[in-house]
Amino acid sequence: MTESGAAVLVVDDEPDVCWALKRILDASGILSLVTASAHDALRLVGRERFVLAFVDAKLPDGDGLELARRIQEVVPGLKIVLISGYYYPDDADVAEALAAGVIDGFVSKPFVHDEIRNLARHAIDRQ
Amino acid sequence: MAEPPGSRVPVSGAAPGSGRYHKLYAMLLDAIPSSVLLIDPQFRVVSANRNFLEKARRSEGETVGQRIDDVFPSVIRDQMDLARKLRTAFDLAEPTRGERMIYRAPGLATRVYYYSLIPFTWQGAVEHVMLLLEDVTEQVRLGEEARRAERHLASVVESASDVVVSTDTDGRILTWNAAAEKVSGYTRDEVRGRFFADLCSAVQRAAVVREFAGARRGGGFAVAEWDLVTEAGRLVPVAWVGSTMKDDTGCVVGIVVVGRDLTERRKFEAQLLQSQKLAALGVLAGGIAHEIRNPLTISSSAAQFLLDGADDADVRQECAEKVLAGIRRASIIIENLLRFARPGAHADMQPVDLVSGVGDTVALVANQAKLQQVKMIVELPDLPVRVSGVPSLLQQVFMNLHLNAFDAMPAGGLLRVSVERTGSEGIVRIGDTGAGIPAGDIGKIFDPFYTTRPVGRGTGLGLSICYSIVRQHFGAIDVESGEGKGSTFSVRLPLLDAGRRP
Repeated sequence: MTESGAAVLVVDDEPDVCWALKRILDASGILSLVTASAHDALRLVGRERFVLAFVDAKLPDGDGLELARRIQEVVPGLKIVLISGYYYPDDADVAEALAAGVIDGFVSKPFVHDEIRNLARHAIDRQ
Repeated sequence: MAEPPGSRVPVSGAAPGSGRYHKLYAMLLDAIPSSVLLIDPQFRVVSANRNFLEKARRSEGETVGQRIDDVFPSVIRDQMDLARKLRTAFDLAEPTRGERMIYRAPGLATRVYYYSLIPFTWQGAVEHVMLLLEDVTEQVRLGEEARRAERHLASVVESASDVVVSTDTDGRILTWNAAAEKVSGYTRDEVRGRFFADLCSAVQRAAVVREFAGARRGGGFAVAEWDLVTEAGRLVPVAWVGSTMKDDTGCVVGIVVVGRDLTERRKFEAQLLQSQKLAALGVLAGGIAHEIRNPLTISSSAAQFLLDGADDADVRQECAEKVLAGIRRASIIIENLLRFARPGAHADMQPVDLVSGVGDTVALVANQAKLQQVKMIVELPDLPVRVSGVPSLLQQVFMNLHLNAFDAMPAGGLLRVSVERTGSEGIVRIGDTGAGIPAGDIGKIFDPFYTTRPVGRGTGLGLSICYSIVRQHFGAIDVESGEGKGSTFSVRLPLLDAGRRP
């Protein structure tokens, strides 16, 4: 159990994207925390025990893939899904990160709610 | 009455005491550089002056008292039709004036003479006929030389590929070469006497008149770009240089303007600009995609919540508003993009506010700044800073300078953008905290194809295009840079309302 009881961390500097993700997860009964910065995200993963993190590829204080690597160092095994409007699904950078295990999934913006729900469910069920 | 010795002037009923006048006339006759003969009704030579004797290589004794048939070779007599003309002069007292005669003595160069036959009438009868012969060979030769030089100069001007126009000091057209006819469609006859300024685009006429007035006071003018209005009503961009024509006393007597048709260069520049824009768009694409997909994501999610059957009215309201807000945001981004991507309409100068111009560019590159972790500090004054310019060209300059700044800061940094005004200039400054330009390279950065980017990543034309555009706007661009300290580019443009502080 985490301190806040949240299973999912949402990292995106766009408040309305956070609003949407939180709302999707809420509707499925999954608790989440949202933050807009890489710095805060690193602080939170060190303090709480999340099952899954949705990470935006471009953050004001850092790159999403770089953040994913840092998170893996702090909390190995935490599932990370990159959400991005910058990359496309068969982007070389994304494929490489998936192959290297830096991220566990990739969702391009705009996303379908079912995909978010399924990814979250899957991660929680598997833990 | 005794004739004064040495005189060859006959005396007919001369008044007593006129001896001294005879002497004077004789002296005069010998002094003038023309040949003078007096001929009597029997066509005998009564007197011949020194000039004639020298030219004809005859002595006075061989000449005076001889018939003209013995004095003049038949070639000359026939050419002059001398006998008939003398007859006319004696019978009708009618002179022959200013006829031309060409004579080539054996072994000598051709000489050209003007001659007149003037009857001398005394008491109702023609007593003598005076034959005046003037050697104009030298004048004719000089005249021909001058005409040849003139023809040569004219053909130089005619075959020049540049437009060459000369005007009087009021700016009325005097000459108009073949290139001018070709570019304008007007023949020289159609424009002769018209004001040069009237053939320029209406909006530039005042400037043309001003430059001509300045040129008239001496000096001429440096390169000015005025559109020529063709006969078909089309505008042709031409770069003009003016200079004054002065007479021997240094007085300005006319103005010469030489113009080069810029149509082809403009076409090339437009192509270059467009390819630069596309290159810039390529750089911006990532940031823009990211930035458009965020509002799309929000709209999409809000719509999905609505489809899922959102529970209460407040939520439905919230979702609908987010759909609209997302769409609005995406279209603003697309609009900025279109504004930049579209080829500039005609390159017409118009009032441009540097504050909003720079603001538009900043909005367009803000996404790129975010992607590259570049913090932007933008200082724009509240009041407009107006210059005369082509909006799309100026935006291209600002965009190039911004993208260069990003390029200098691959690992992020600080981009400082400001617009200021001094008494006469608007200044746009764009400064980065990148690597800076090595001192040895500063002189080269505005050269075409100078680049620090790896092969394939940049054309190197960016700064040379900026330079050319700023010069076209009568402005200046310079850079302050130190290795490791970053670079600040300043673009200075003359203010439209110079001196009038807001």
